[in-house]
Amino acid sequence: MASSNRTLLQSSIVRKQIVAVTGLAMVGFLIAHLSGNFLIFAGPEAFNGYSKKLHDLGPILWVLRIGLIAALLGHVVLAIKLTGENHAARGGRYAVSNSRGDGGFCKKTMIYTGILILVFVALHLYDFTYRDKTGDPTIVEGVNGGLSLGLFGLVWNSFLQPWHSGLYILAMIILGFHLSHGIQSLFQSIGFFHDRYTPMVKKIGFALAILLAVGFISIPIYVNVVRTPHL
Amino acid sequence: MSKKINLTLKVWRQPDNRTSGRFEVYPAQDIDTDMSFLEMLDVVNDELEKEGKDPIAFDHDCREGICGMCGCVINGQAHGPDAATTVCQLHMRRFQDGMTLVIEPWRAKAFPIIKDLAVDRSAFDRVISAGGYISVRTGAAPDAHAVPVPKDSADQAMDAAACIGCGACVAACPNASAMLFVSAKVSQLALLPQGQPERDQRVVSMVSQMDSEGFGNCSNHYECEASCPKEISIKNIARMNRELTRAGVRS
Repeated sequence: MASSNRTLLQSSIVRKQIVAVTGLAMVGFLIAHLSGNFLIFAGPEAFNGYSKKLHDLGPILWVLRIGLIAALLGHVVLAIKLTGENHAARGGRYAVSNSRGDGGFCKKTMIYTGILILVFVALHLYDFTYRDKTGDPTIVEGVNGGLSLGLFGLVWNSFLQPWHSGLYILAMIILGFHLSHGIQSLFQSIGFFHDRYTPMVKKIGFALAILLAVGFISIPIYVNVVRTPHL
Repeated sequence: MSKKINLTLKVWRQPDNRTSGRFEVYPAQDIDTDMSFLEMLDVVNDELEKEGKDPIAFDHDCREGICGMCGCVINGQAHGPDAATTVCQLHMRRFQDGMTLVIEPWRAKAFPIIKDLAVDRSAFDRVISAGGYISVRTGAAPDAHAVPVPKDSADQAMDAAACIGCGACVAACPNASAMLFVSAKVSQLALLPQGQPERDQRVVSMVSQMDSEGFGNCSNHYECEASCPKEISIKNIARMNRELTRAGVRS
């Protein structure tokens, strides 16, 4: 058989599998992230305590962060490259196009929802990771005697701004769209197909996408319903 | 009971791959609904020839749905509106009187247009040449049951081997990916004992050839499976993904 000078890593399939595995890693991160975020319902002490514990991990936190950044970069760079190749491969558009599969708004918009999520991640990191957690924006009016509530206060005040909550909720809906195709799709890419289990994987993937989106959205909704945190 | 219908055809006309193409509108008059789609095109071509015009070029051979030569996109669907049907087995009773049909060739960079609706699918042949075979000494045929094959494997290999290489999967894929075709060819051999000696090298070589032909990547839309006249399952694509990983791990 013809020997190939392309390495396996350059093959379309392996590059897609890297997108799939990095995607799976980020889904794992989202589950952990949301679980941590739910501590906001338990009040500032629990929430800030969780944040402090994470920071106290020191070098381990940075190992996790670098892993996550690498996964994100790999996912984004390869996905953009693969999408570019796909457009080039089309070679002329059909005058009439008529999907006969299960259609799929989410499938067709993966690259766009992905790019919007990337923009959100940048804004989100500035918002809650980079910004100072001791100053005025962390003081929730009429609570804690005008003292800073740290990260809890920052998140609470941010979500009290309607535009801020609105953008966050919109971003999470987009994330839900992205994951509703992404989670079930990654199993096919890594080669998992089973007559009995694949329909289950599809349902669970779809449900997990909705649960994650609804879970994240529940936080700004909670803040806006309660308005004054119970300490 | 057959009846006669009149249709309007918007057909892609393109003299060759170097010249840009465009749609031409032709009437298809008094079409018997018992005709196949290709017979309808034959009737239209007769009329075009009477008028001294160039007939529409389209690929066809057996006209029995098993050779894989025919194929065009009708109103945005590869092989037309019927599931699990090649365009030669599509019948005009499927259409209503007065309809307009937009007829286009397979559109993919890896399938350059030869003329009108005929495309060059030799990229598929090169993928097969890269590894879609087994190397055996010819001679007397071995006894049928000399090599045991599990029933399930035999069934799945047979299902994969139903692929006729028509290219509808590439035509229907939003990325013009050939994954369904290549995975069917990889699977039919990977599932059988005779395919084992070259199993790893085969998938690596065929995928590499597929990539260098300029087909797109699979993004799991599954339009291919829905358009396949032989109902090849996307489980073959998952198997090929697995086979490639296996080859990489073992090498």
